[in-house]
Amino acid sequence: MSIHILGIRHHGVGSAKQLKNELERLQPDIILVEGPPEITEVFTYVGEKALQPPVAIMVYNSVDPKESTFYPFASYSPEWVAISHANKNKIPVRALDLPAAISFEKARIQSENKKEEAEDANSEIDKPLPIIPQDPISILAETDGFSSGEAWWEHHFEYNTIESEAHFKSVYHVMNALREEGLKSSLDDENVAREAYMRQIITEARNEMYENIVVVCGAWHAPALTDVDSYVKEDRKTLKQLPKTKIKTIATWIPWTNKRLSMASGYGAGIYSPGWYNHLWVTEEDTEINWLTKVAETFRANKIDTSTAHVIESFKLARSLAAIRNKHFVSLSEMNDAIRSVMCMGDEILLDYVNKELIIGNALGTVPNDIPKMPLQEDFEINLKQLRLKLTADPKIYQLDLRKELDQNRSTFFHRLELLNLNWLVRRSSRTKGTFKETWEAQWSPDMMIALIDNGFLGNTVEAAAQAVVVNECINAKKIETIATLLQKSIPAELFEDLHILISRINEIASISVDILDLLKALPNLINISRYGDVRNSDLSVLNHIVQQLLIKVNTSLANACYGLDEENSSAMFEEISKLNHAIGIYDDAEIEAEWFATLHKILHKDGVHPIIIGCVCRLLLDGQQFTDEVADQHISYALSINNLPETVAAWLQGFLKGSGMILIYDNRLWNLIYTWVSTLNKETFIELLPMLRRSFSNFEFSERRQIGEKAKEGIITEKTTKTTLDSNFDEDLANSILPTIAHFLTPQS
Amino acid sequence: METLRQSAAEQFSEELENLKKQDSGKVPAGWQMSPQSVVTYLMGGKLKNNFEISPKYIGDRRLMEVAVATLTTDRALLLYGIPGTGKSWVSEHITTAVTGDASLLIQGTAGLGEEAIRYGWNYAKLLAEGPTESALVITPLMRAMKTGAIARIEELTRISADVQDTLITVLSEKIMPIPELSMEVRANKGFNVVATANNRDKGVNELSSALKRRFNTVILPTPNTAAEEINIVKTRVASSIKSLELPAEVPSLKEIERIVQIFRELRHGVTTDGRTKLKSPTSTVSTAEAISVVNNGLSLAAHFGNGELTAYDVASSLVGAIVKDPVQDAVVWKEYLETVVKTREDWKDIYRACKEIG
Repeated sequence: MSIHILGIRHHGVGSAKQLKNELERLQPDIILVEGPPEITEVFTYVGEKALQPPVAIMVYNSVDPKESTFYPFASYSPEWVAISHANKNKIPVRALDLPAAISFEKARIQSENKKEEAEDANSEIDKPLPIIPQDPISILAETDGFSSGEAWWEHHFEYNTIESEAHFKSVYHVMNALREEGLKSSLDDENVAREAYMRQIITEARNEMYENIVVVCGAWHAPALTDVDSYVKEDRKTLKQLPKTKIKTIATWIPWTNKRLSMASGYGAGIYSPGWYNHLWVTEEDTEINWLTKVAETFRANKIDTSTAHVIESFKLARSLAAIRNKHFVSLSEMNDAIRSVMCMGDEILLDYVNKELIIGNALGTVPNDIPKMPLQEDFEINLKQLRLKLTADPKIYQLDLRKELDQNRSTFFHRLELLNLNWLVRRSSRTKGTFKETWEAQWSPDMMIALIDNGFLGNTVEAAAQAVVVNECINAKKIETIATLLQKSIPAELFEDLHILISRINEIASISVDILDLLKALPNLINISRYGDVRNSDLSVLNHIVQQLLIKVNTSLANACYGLDEENSSAMFEEISKLNHAIGIYDDAEIEAEWFATLHKILHKDGVHPIIIGCVCRLLLDGQQFTDEVADQHISYALSINNLPETVAAWLQGFLKGSGMILIYDNRLWNLIYTWVSTLNKETFIELLPMLRRSFSNFEFSERRQIGEKAKEGIITEKTTKTTLDSNFDEDLANSILPTIAHFLTPQS
Repeated sequence: METLRQSAAEQFSEELENLKKQDSGKVPAGWQMSPQSVVTYLMGGKLKNNFEISPKYIGDRRLMEVAVATLTTDRALLLYGIPGTGKSWVSEHITTAVTGDASLLIQGTAGLGEEAIRYGWNYAKLLAEGPTESALVITPLMRAMKTGAIARIEELTRISADVQDTLITVLSEKIMPIPELSMEVRANKGFNVVATANNRDKGVNELSSALKRRFNTVILPTPNTAAEEINIVKTRVASSIKSLELPAEVPSLKEIERIVQIFRELRHGVTTDGRTKLKSPTSTVSTAEAISVVNNGLSLAAHFGNGELTAYDVASSLVGAIVKDPVQDAVVWKEYLETVVKTREDWKDIYRACKEIG
């Protein structure tokens, strides 16, 4: 009976090549691969055509998918090579490591302990971050004169052509020497339990009378797994101390991307150059020239002229560089330096193409359809079926009529996905007006499934996950405006269950917030939402209450908030005041309106308020019929009086006109006042003012400007407003009957 | 009589000798030391016999490795970048280290003719003897081809485009035809060209893509960090005190730090703490300018002051270095002075000094 421990580097191409040869040589009758035992069951899929790397095994808690971990595989991952070999030769393959369930349990205990500690320490003091464990290999690399452990490993083990048996022996010796040094790493605690479990699994295999056992594990673990028997006592103790757990886990395959391979996950740190590794794995010979040809092709595809001579010169330079750096192989860094200098004229930016399209690459894995799916994914697919939706790569437009039940449900579903940040659907503006029409453009790409799976821990259904997103964002929100937006998104997504959380959070922030601009920004939204109440059958009376409270806050502090603002802030304030005024008009509550106008009066009479705000307030009060003619005259001529600074008047006008010249065309009284004001200006002042006036007038509609110009030709309008004489045929009842319809049109739709 | 500025080969002869002695690598044909030793000469380091090599280029080692590796292939090297990033400096030193002789130099100007690159004629001889080899006036480039040395071309982009193109055959075929004599000069092993070029200046002639293709390009960037830049200014100024025999003390680090900070802030358009946005002057404010400001200040201090570098000595050349355009730059500088310099508690002296100048 023999046990062979083969230490590898996760995702190391050199390791994978050596492992392939070594497995052929050893012909084991069982292979044990590093990984939690729970993933053993899905190993059987490896070798099926539909399972194409990059893929990952996802292990998650069946009750709470939030607890999950990923084990990604590329075609050049040594683990993948080992599993493929086993399946091809029909020998058993098992995972050996600490069960994921126990890891979850441990993490849970740890976070609880932390919470307790934090509470003990009054949670104020920042804990020092845990020191990142220094990779023991990097210590070795440093003494050997290499910049990193990666570089050292690459130099010694990735590019060598020695026999596989000797390769694994030398890896073993290096690691053994390092471990005997007794170097401490913060991973030690974890490793003790993991290695104990690994040994236990090896023992089991041995007890099952397997003759030729191969263990494939991270190189660091190799020395600890050779002599299983000498650890028996220790291991029994260690395993006893592990927490008991009732967590049930599920393992499944999910598609992965090269980009994701470059992120850290279950098999430790990510790799920076999955595309380059893949190239090394699939290319049998002349890897450098093949790579440079690919680079040249990429440049050509991006319309950058690249000749064969470029390829030749890059290759020569890369080799010379390797020689200068004392390397017996050309690695990616020499390639990049040579490409930069020869093909890119020394320019770093062009190299980005290579990095994105080749070095990382955009490979995407596939998984068979019959593989167990995680709950969110399943719910997503059930929804697709029920709502008769298809995932297509070509863009498809959905015109929804919300009066139909199917479309209404689709809209709800789409809104929920939007909250999950799934970019499958983009809302387009409908061509027809009206609130019952929605247009969505759908375009599916397979990596969206991964984005969806990423959300898997939020909940088991699309609804629950979307709800969780809303609640999470709400808890982290610092501004009422943010929550108002969340509320607005929740209603079409029919997420009513947790609305009270949003509402109470608004209450909470409002009670301590002093940010009046935030209130101003949030209120129009909130008012719009509170009007939805009766349409969507949800109880929003609480919200009404809050709106009223917030309005009281605004009314008490708005005047002071307007004091002493500079031009930029005043313009912002002017926008918000106009919007809120509009919203209050919709709210349609006489009492609230009265209070609002009282506030506006307060602003009007306050000193130190920017003229643009005064102008705006003046206009709002005029439109709200809060002025008698006399008072209006007084205010306007006061504002336009000659002793005011010209730029003050210009700003006032900007606020007063609010981007529309209509009032100038129809109100002759006002027209005359402004006309007189303009004529009092001398030439210099007029030229000085012109840019400012132009700023407000240039926003007007073309026809408005034309009409104003024509009116200016006439000068001061003297005649009284013309009154249309009533026709004898006028039927008052008939005229009145259309008023409700007109009123309906005039009520702004949200 | 002593020369104003020694050549690199003279100034660093001891370092070069030691490098040659300690060299264990393979020496390419026509080189005087191995490529690894050339990189050590440029980047500095300690030899096996504990001899200290001073760094000539302070910055990314990778760039120097690419430059040296280029010369081991038969491709020409183009050092590219904005003015004052040390292109000519690197070109001189790399050539010195490889061949021991950096004197085969063609200075590129807008008025440079073809005969300065290929060959000219000694007209007296030409009239007397007709076209013969002895009537040829050999250019540095042709001499480099004949002896297997490295020719340097400074300011390649200043040379007019049609004259630039005469280089193409030399660089790709390594021959220079002389049709008048129906012969050609073939380059010996070791021949190569190191050119420097500006990418951001008035009146530059872009290289044709045929010519570009003959060069491996290394872009020399402005220093990455303030510490790196301070280091460059310090070492260069220290060496110029020696060569100019200024009696002043080696300037205090504080003054250098301040000048480097001013230059960096103006170049990047933002203060070091990232809080204030700044306008940048029209001209480039490079490390070379910073070096010359400190040098100027030192000579002022030496001849008119008490020998110690103060804010007053620096101010005039500092303003001169930054304000190149009397209208636009003056506004930039004044804004910088009032919004940044004035507010810094320990910069009062330099603020006052600059204010006095105007």
